Amino acid sequence: MHIPDGFIPISQCIVYYVIVIFVGYFAVNWAKNNLDEKQIPLLAVLGAGVFAIMAMNIPIPWGTSGHMIGSPIVSILLGSPFAGFLVMTVVLIIQALAFGDGGVTVLGANIFNMGIIASFLGFYIFKALKPLVHAVPSVFMGSFLAIFITSIACALELFIAGTFPLTAGLVFMGLYHLVIGIFGEGIISTIVYMAINNLRPDLINKKSLDLKREN
Amino acid sequence: MKTSVNTLEREARKESVIHNLDSRIKLIMTLILIVYSVYTTKLLNLLLIEIYILFLVFLSKISLKYYFKRIVYILPFGGFIAIFQPFIRPGDILYTLPFGLSVSSQGIQFGILLLSRLTVSISMIVLFSSSTPMNSIINAMRRLGFPKVLTIILSLTVRYLFVFFDELDNIKNAQKSRCFNIWNREVSYMWILRQVGYSIMMIFLNSFEKGEKIYFSMLSRGYNGEANQYIEEHSIENIDCCALILTIAIIIFIEVK
Repeated sequence: MHIPDGFIPISQCIVYYVIVIFVGYFAVNWAKNNLDEKQIPLLAVLGAGVFAIMAMNIPIPWGTSGHMIGSPIVSILLGSPFAGFLVMTVVLIIQALAFGDGGVTVLGANIFNMGIIASFLGFYIFKALKPLVHAVPSVFMGSFLAIFITSIACALELFIAGTFPLTAGLVFMGLYHLVIGIFGEGIISTIVYMAINNLRPDLINKKSLDLKREN
Repeated sequence: MKTSVNTLEREARKESVIHNLDSRIKLIMTLILIVYSVYTTKLLNLLLIEIYILFLVFLSKISLKYYFKRIVYILPFGGFIAIFQPFIRPGDILYTLPFGLSVSSQGIQFGILLLSRLTVSISMIVLFSSSTPMNSIINAMRRLGFPKVLTIILSLTVRYLFVFFDELDNIKNAQKSRCFNIWNREVSYMWILRQVGYSIMMIFLNSFEKGEKIYFSMLSRGYNGEANQYIEEHSIENIDCCALILTIAIIIFIEVK
């Protein structure tokens, strides 16, 4: 889902940068007020971890493989979408500048997709569903829908940029990420959540903890 | 991936005119060149920029084989979309193919433009990242006024990137030595998915535990929430200014000519 350089005209890139800087301002403030000094190294190491997770191939049916994005589960585990945003921003900056994965001018758009849309959707879908159903299915729905809707947003952005026609983009991006969203992001995030909830529940933010299991 | 992470740093620590340029200047040069290549719509301009970049590559003494190999690895990501442009863009139809496909001249032009832009930007990024160690990139960003919280996180992330790629390699080797293959059809698909999930969970747990450990070791060295890191100070020298001015002059010349 990393959009490369040249696929979005400069004028539109600036719009995404402005949105990212706007959210970034709140994220940095959130970090100052809510993160104790202990969590700053944690965010950094999680960034490196997400980097490794992205390099890991997950088999999806019909013979292809995909990889996780990871920002929804990071937001859920740390109990704030800003955490996912910060981790993803760091990862995407390094990927763009040191690995050439995703462009520099479109960095704003990439952070907008995978950092803002994916983290916020993932976290708030989880938060909304948690009181209604069990925590585990809400982790699945949160991370699956986050990836699916992010891919739709990505197709829309490429359409607005005039690079890819709308229907073809929606069909290709949507179908591919529907499958990756279910088998990659959704199921794997659920496994990660359940396992950490059993092994080290102290690591999960209290707001996101699966309380039923504890009782 | 791990080998590429390590060779990346090996190339970045060579000695040459380009390697010795101030990393801030290199970052600014990279950004200017990429922004211009995305802005321009003339193929000739893109070709001239590419020639300038290849000249810089020649100066940097980076192994050419390594340089082009990296470009070839990155290109397919976006190249795929560029190659399909002739078939999906409406315009004057040149050929009609079976299955209702048609090739339009506007599509071909746009496809070539996208592909050239992509090539120029990737050549510049690969040159930049193969001539600047990751730490210097982060220091350059910090000194150009990037928010402090982010640069602290960035510099720590870069430091632990290598540890995690080693870990990932260990996991992969351990799986391989047990004949684990994600495409194995003999076992159920859900079982494979669960195993992959567990390794990803291990990376998460390791991150959390390492995060705690690092915090304590930082604390014992006097960390108080502010990272007052020692940064090797380089002042901007004449050659740095020359390189920047030359780049800007070349872009202006190409645009105006």
